[in-house]
Amino acid sequence: MSRAASNVVSPDAMLVSAIRSGDEQAMAQLYERYSSIVYSVALRVLGDTGAAEDILQEIFMQLWRSPDVFDATRGSLPGWLAVITRNRAIDSLRKRRPETDITDVIVSIEPDLVGGAELSRTLEKIRGALGGMPPPQRSALEMAFFEGLTHTEIAEKTGEPLGTIKTRIRAGLLTLRKAFNP
Amino acid sequence: MSVHEQFADDLSLYALGALQGEERLAVEKHLQDCPDCRRELVQLQGDLALLALSASGPKPPLRSRKRLMAAIAKEPRRTPVRLVKRKTWWTALEWAAAAATVVIVLLLMRQNTDLRRRLADLQADSAGQQRQLIQAKELISTLTSADAEHFTLVAGKIPPQPQGKAIYVRNSGTLVFLASNMPKLPPQKTYELWLIPTSGAPIPAGLFRPDTHGSAALIKPPLPTGVEAKTFAITVEPGAGSATPTSTPIMVGIGE
Repeated sequence: MSRAASNVVSPDAMLVSAIRSGDEQAMAQLYERYSSIVYSVALRVLGDTGAAEDILQEIFMQLWRSPDVFDATRGSLPGWLAVITRNRAIDSLRKRRPETDITDVIVSIEPDLVGGAELSRTLEKIRGALGGMPPPQRSALEMAFFEGLTHTEIAEKTGEPLGTIKTRIRAGLLTLRKAFNP
Repeated sequence: MSVHEQFADDLSLYALGALQGEERLAVEKHLQDCPDCRRELVQLQGDLALLALSASGPKPPLRSRKRLMAAIAKEPRRTPVRLVKRKTWWTALEWAAAAATVVIVLLLMRQNTDLRRRLADLQADSAGQQRQLIQAKELISTLTSADAEHFTLVAGKIPPQPQGKAIYVRNSGTLVFLASNMPKLPPQKTYELWLIPTSGAPIPAGLFRPDTHGSAALIKPPLPTGVEAKTFAITVEPGAGSATPTSTPIMVGIGE
């Protein structure tokens, strides 16, 4: 299954367009669709339900206030939400001001992968790919992504060479990619 | 995809937001000039999205939804009124412009049809007038031609008598006069035709000298319009003609 970004206007883009004109029902629909993803990622990073709820609120309020921050032609909405949630949660974890301009986040992932019935199969594939990774590789990847540790911090924590950590992180990401583009 | 190897690992770290300082600046500078690495960065962010999705499972409590929707309801409307108003304004203008265009097109079509009809009428009129003009010219040419042969038909063995025929239309002041078997005149004399009105003095209606056959014609001599004619008469006048008859008429209309 291709994971290339689609330039076709998706139903998500229509909802975002409705939100742009102040349609609260469209916002409610979008929340029903993707609040679980946002909340799960925030919870995984922060490990605290209250903090995760705050991030959830923050992410959706930002989308309500500035729907134009998401450009449907530049990536999928759920993928974009997942990445900006992670980035915002990491910033919150580190008690720092948001560092990443969310308009710079372009996510190459098909909406179908996370829409409806496809989500469980997609998760199965992702978890299968993670489960098939060498534990040090998976660990380095998850520390970098969910804990927001830099490669230097991971190297210090694990006692592994810096170059090895860099390579493991990259290899882990390519392994995930190959699970959808064998 | 050919990603520059020296940036391969750093691109992953950059996507994770793990690069700082000079390392980060170096990658950003390279990304500005390298479309391949920009595409790879997009791919890496997709990879990260998949990694993020691996956390999926927990659902937010219901209160989160209520909290969000309550917050949205309290938000000042995102200039929807201005946007809607503006949109309506523009929409009204667009509709007005479209309606005006339709009206203009219809008017132009109608005008075009009218013009075509008028042009066709004018062409028909022109053709008719041209035909009439040709006929009139032929008629005049026939009546006035020196080569025209004139025949006077009479009953029995009565010799042909001098005869004049005047056809007059009062409203337009138009007159056609034909004469035949007119006696020859001395060189210094001329025949003059007179319109004798129902009231007032005779009006000069033209001078003529018959040809060798005694025939002559006057086609539309200058006459005032609207004069009711009692009859027409012919006198012999000096060569230049007269303003009033200077002799007794030699021929007078009898009416029909």
